[in-house]
Amino acid sequence: MSSEAGTIKLFFREAIARAVREEMAGDERVIVLGQDVGAFGGSYKEFLGLYDQFGAARVRDTPVAEAAMVGLGVGAAAAGYRPLVSITYMDFLMLGLDALVNYAAKARFKTGGQVTAPVVVKTTAGAKGQGVAHSQCLEAWLMGVPGLVVVAPSDAADAYGLMKSALRHDGPVVFVDHKRLFPTAGEVPLAETFGPIGQAAIRRPGEHATIATHGHMVRIAAQAAERLARDGVSCEIVDLRTLAPLDVATVAASAARTGALVTLEEGQLTCGVGAEVAFRVRESVGAVRVARVGALAAPISSNPVLEAAALPDAARVIDAVRRVLG
Amino acid sequence: MDPLATLKSMLLIRRFEAALDARPDRGFQLYSSGAEAVAVGVCAALRPGDQLLSSGRSIGPALARGIDPRLVMAELLGKATGPAGGKGGRGHLAKPDQGFFGAHAVVAGNLNIAAGAALAAQLDGRGRMVACIFGDGAAGAGALHETLNIAALWTLPLLLVCDNNGLSVSTPREAALAPARLSDLAAPFGVPAASLDGTDVEAVRDQAAEFAAQARAGGGPAFLECRSERFFSHSTATRETRSAAAMRGVLERCPIRRCAAKLQAAGQLDAAGLAGLEAEAEARVADALAFADASPYPDPAEALSDVV
Repeated sequence: MSSEAGTIKLFFREAIARAVREEMAGDERVIVLGQDVGAFGGSYKEFLGLYDQFGAARVRDTPVAEAAMVGLGVGAAAAGYRPLVSITYMDFLMLGLDALVNYAAKARFKTGGQVTAPVVVKTTAGAKGQGVAHSQCLEAWLMGVPGLVVVAPSDAADAYGLMKSALRHDGPVVFVDHKRLFPTAGEVPLAETFGPIGQAAIRRPGEHATIATHGHMVRIAAQAAERLARDGVSCEIVDLRTLAPLDVATVAASAARTGALVTLEEGQLTCGVGAEVAFRVRESVGAVRVARVGALAAPISSNPVLEAAALPDAARVIDAVRRVLG
Repeated sequence: MDPLATLKSMLLIRRFEAALDARPDRGFQLYSSGAEAVAVGVCAALRPGDQLLSSGRSIGPALARGIDPRLVMAELLGKATGPAGGKGGRGHLAKPDQGFFGAHAVVAGNLNIAAGAALAAQLDGRGRMVACIFGDGAAGAGALHETLNIAALWTLPLLLVCDNNGLSVSTPREAALAPARLSDLAAPFGVPAASLDGTDVEAVRDQAAEFAAQARAGGGPAFLECRSERFFSHSTATRETRSAAAMRGVLERCPIRRCAAKLQAAGQLDAAGLAGLEAEAEARVADALAFADASPYPDPAEALSDVV
């Protein structure tokens, strides 16, 4: 399986399972709560094997009750455990936002450090043919909640490393993955590693324009950069990896070098990730030409023609890059 | 807890709130006066390792749990010597190392948190349990349904205590909640429940103790409805909507007078003894106020500490 020294090729879902398995083996306070996380192994098979290894007390199927699932996880976290709560669709995270935003994100502050809530809420964003209430990317909503960490890996290695770090973080973390990433595979270090929270990564070096993006859209950015390269346009791709806290320095340094910034996200542009990234980069480095690419301002239909029409693709990224380059 | 101790605890809550309410700098507060017997009765059934959670109406629960009135007063007045350094304040009192896991000022917001704490207690396997006091206003929220369902399913060591004072701000319970008795809400889940007069501290204590013993023995959750009174308006920022005549009826149902009369009738307390207990409560409250007054406000830099 190993295609280069020291790594192993894993599917994104396998990388998540490995991270959770290692953390559960090393710390009995780590438990998993969610719908179909038990014998079923998770809706995307991302918890496969955990139930058999750790049993029903630590890998718990819950009723379809997101408010209670998140609340239970937060309460158990505040009482000393390190739960991972799985919310199958990010659209349904809304039902659990009270415990996450009003309690977990504020627990440490409001108790003067007496209580922390080290809970990981793992949730799956993104459109893949399932319609208006099963397709949304709402991570930008969470970026402005003080106390919340938001990570969004784009490949198997980061899925592994960031999940490991999330499960060791002493406060609440929202781990945002994407339906289209689960079947992708990538090289993951054989040795135990931890992904750095709050640190972006340059996925492709380039000279003419910076594309700042996260999650599944990193792959779309790569397609766009590949095609632009054929025309002699060199793009640098910055994978944000963590949305809160945001690594503005890495994006700003890249944009300062290239002089042009395109933000790319699958979610909405209004008050979106790109709006925040672009504004903070402009505050930091001044004159940088910017453009944003995101979904159309419309619900995402399950109709394949309409879904594709609403979502960003490589062609739209290419247009945006050409626009900022004049 | 002996009967005199429960009376002392209720007197402390009453005097504490009266003193706080007299302060021009009291800020936004929700009082427990009229419902002292609920918190005191429930806490009499708890052990040191157990945890209590409450709604934002948390002065009664915090003091009944034995949290030092000095610390409670300092926290409520925003002083740095409070358990949360003055950051939690009204609605978010907490001292988990002394069994008060904390208040949470979102109506029904502490129910599934309490279930999570109960899950932790169950996984710990040390026979500890969790109690959560919430208002009748929370009984209309879906969170109660979800919490009852999971607590029953997983036999969580959780005592849900509804402090039913009959009003959600101004809306009478009859206009907001369909069930005849709020304890009926537990029935579909097979959760043992009781509905009783929440001004009778002994009744609350005895029923809470029975449910707590059951929870510790692995028997799962229980639901206790305590019909109490609210002697103040909803909050210090809310106008009173009840008539003077209605208020006279409300004030008649005083848990402290009821308890004291019973002790006097039983020969366990005389007028001088009661006056002594009142003076003692008064002195503790004066001491708490002096402590809070002598304490500094937090440094403005604290606005950014303990955030992430």
